Amino acid sequence: MAGLELKALHKTYGQVPVIKGVDLSVSHGEFVVFVGPSGCGKSTLLRMIAGLEDITSGELWIGDRLCNAVEPRDRGIAMVFQSYALYPHMTVYDNVGFGLKLARTDKAERDRKIRDAARILQMEHLLDRKPSQLSGGQRQRVAIGRAIVRQPEVFLFDEPLSNLDAALRVDMRMELAKLHQDLGSTMIYVTHDQVEAMTLADKIVVLNGGVVQQVGAPIDLYQRPANLFVAGFIGSPKMNFAEVSVQSINGGMVTVASKDISAVTVAADTKSLKVGDRLTLGVRPHHLSMDASGTLVGGVSLVERLGNETNVSLRLPSGATWLVVLDGDHNLRPAQALQLAIDAEKVVLFDAAGQSLLAAM
Amino acid sequence: MARVQSPARSRPSTYPGWFFLPAAIIYGVLFLLPTFASLYFSLTRWTLFNSTFIGLDNFAQFFREPFLIKGLINTVIYAVVSSGLKVVLGLLLAVLLTSQIAARGYLRSVVFFPVLVSTVGVGITFTVLMHPTQGMINEGLAMLGIKGPGWLVDPNLALISVALVDVWKGVGLATVIYIAGIVAIPQDYYEAARIDGSTPWQSFIYVTLPLCRPATVTVITLSFIGGLRTFDLIWAMTRGGPGFASDTIASVIYKQYQAGFYGLSTAGNVVLFVLIGVLVVPLTMLLNRKEGHE
Repeated sequence: MAGLELKALHKTYGQVPVIKGVDLSVSHGEFVVFVGPSGCGKSTLLRMIAGLEDITSGELWIGDRLCNAVEPRDRGIAMVFQSYALYPHMTVYDNVGFGLKLARTDKAERDRKIRDAARILQMEHLLDRKPSQLSGGQRQRVAIGRAIVRQPEVFLFDEPLSNLDAALRVDMRMELAKLHQDLGSTMIYVTHDQVEAMTLADKIVVLNGGVVQQVGAPIDLYQRPANLFVAGFIGSPKMNFAEVSVQSINGGMVTVASKDISAVTVAADTKSLKVGDRLTLGVRPHHLSMDASGTLVGGVSLVERLGNETNVSLRLPSGATWLVVLDGDHNLRPAQALQLAIDAEKVVLFDAAGQSLLAAM
Repeated sequence: MARVQSPARSRPSTYPGWFFLPAAIIYGVLFLLPTFASLYFSLTRWTLFNSTFIGLDNFAQFFREPFLIKGLINTVIYAVVSSGLKVVLGLLLAVLLTSQIAARGYLRSVVFFPVLVSTVGVGITFTVLMHPTQGMINEGLAMLGIKGPGWLVDPNLALISVALVDVWKGVGLATVIYIAGIVAIPQDYYEAARIDGSTPWQSFIYVTLPLCRPATVTVITLSFIGGLRTFDLIWAMTRGGPGFASDTIASVIYKQYQAGFYGLSTAGNVVLFVLIGVLVVPLTMLLNRKEGHE
C-alpha cells in the first residue's frame, strides 16, 4: 500500500528555481492529475517522483520510505512516457517483459505476467509485432503494459495521450479510468489538457510557475476556484472576467457593478471589503442566459451553432469580449443586441490580489 | 475499386531535369569514363602511348604472380583487423565522449585530429616511432623493462603494426559517426530503462548497442572497404616488406605499375574492384537485413 508525501519539494536548475516548494499528500489508490500550462513544472515534479530528476531540497516519501536518494528502479514506480519510449528493436513481448528480464524473473513467471498484462490490455494479438508495426493507440497500450507487468505501487503518466488523435484520446481516457478501477493502484498523471484532468482525477493539482495553485476534487476546482489562475485554467470554454467595483455590502452579500454590468448581488466573504473596492468578477459562459431583464447587454460578434448549444462571442460596451454558451439552438445574427442574465449564485469574486472571495460553505 | 495513383508518381519534380547535368558531367568524366577505360586497358598490353588487345592474358598473368595469394590474404587480414578495431574502439570512445566527462569538446577534437593528418606523414612518423632499437615506442617499453618487438621488421608483425597505425589514424572518423548515432538515440529510452531497473551496462547492451546499429553498419562498411583498398600507409611504412610479408593487393599492383606493366596493373585493379564487390556487397546485405525497425 503506497501513498505519497511531498514535503516542501524544491528543484532548481543552476540559479533558476523550477519547483518552488510543493507540499502534497496522495493516499493509496488515488488518481491524482497534475495540470497546468507549458513550463509550469508539472513534468519536472513527476520526474522528481520517478527519480529521473534530483530533488534540490525537501522530502519525497513513497509509502513509508524516504525516497530522495533511492534509485528509480527501487522506488516501486512505473512510468508511461509521452513518447511511449518503446524499444524499436524489440517485439511487443520483449518490450513488455524488459523490466522483468532485467530483474531476472523466472522465464515461466515472466511469460505469465506478460500474457496477463496483454490480456488486461487486449493486445494478445500484438505480442510478436515491433513497435513500428503498431498504431498510436496500440503503442500507448504497450507502454501501459510495460508499466503494469512490474506491478508498481505507483503509476506515473507523463502526458500519455497527447500524441493521439482526438477520438482515440477519448477512448484511451476511458480505458485508463477503467484500468485504475481494476488495479486500484495509485496513479499520478500529468497533462495540460484540463478535460483529461477533470474526467480522470480523484484529485487535481493545479500548478503554475512551479507553485501549487490549488489542490482539490475536479468539481470543487470548477465551482470554487481558489484564485484567478485556477478559475481561468479550469473549465472549457474559459471563464469570463470583468473589472467591477463594490456598490454596497449587506451582511454576506455584496453588490458589484461595472460599465458593462448594471448590478449583480453575490454571496461572498465580505469581511475585508468596503464600498468602492475594485474586484474581478468571474462568470462561466454556461452561467449566462437570455433574459429581457438581464443585467448584461452586448452585441453578437460571432456565433457557433452546435445544435445542442450555441456559442456566442459577445462584444460588451467597454470593448471586452465575453463568451456565452446558450442551451439549445439560437439563430442569432452578427451585430444583434443581446440581453443576458447572470446566474448570481454561480459567479465568483476575486480580490485585487486575484484570490477568490468565496463565502465559506 | 478505383485505382489511386500515388501522389509521388504524378507530382512533377521540384527542379527541372537539366539541373542534374553538371553533377552528371563531372561524375561521367571523372568516374565512369576512367572506370570503363580501365576495364578496356586491362585487356590490353599498354605502354601509355599505344595499346594492343590481348584478351584475358593480363588476368592470367596476374593470378600467376607468386605472391598474389599472400597479398590477397594480407589484404583481407588487414581489412578485418583494422575495421574490427575501429568498430570496437570507435564505439567505446563515442560512449565515453557522449558521457558527462570534463573537457569533452577538447577530447573529441583530440580523437578526430589524426584523421586530418596526411597518411604518408603518419606513416613516416610511425616508422620512426616503431624503429626496433631507437624508436620511442620500444624505448618506452624498455624503461618498463619490456623488450619491444621489431614492429615493422618482424615478418609476422609488420602487417598488424601497419593495421594498428591505420586504426590510430582512422578511429576518429569511426568515433564521430558513432557519436552522431548515439546522440540521435532519444533520452526517453534510457530513462525508461532506468525505471525498469537497468544498470548502465545493461543500458549499453540493450539500448545503445542495438539503436546505434546504423552507425555500426556505416563504420564497418567504410572501414572495411578502406582496409581492402589500403595502399598509402603500407607503402609509406614497409613497401610491402620485409620481403613480401606485408604486401597487399594494392601494393602488388603498384609494384607492377612501377615496373611498367600498365595493362597488368590495371587488370589487378579490376580484380581488386571485383574482390571488394564480392566481399562488401554480401556484407552490407547481411548487416542491413535485420534493420527492419523504424
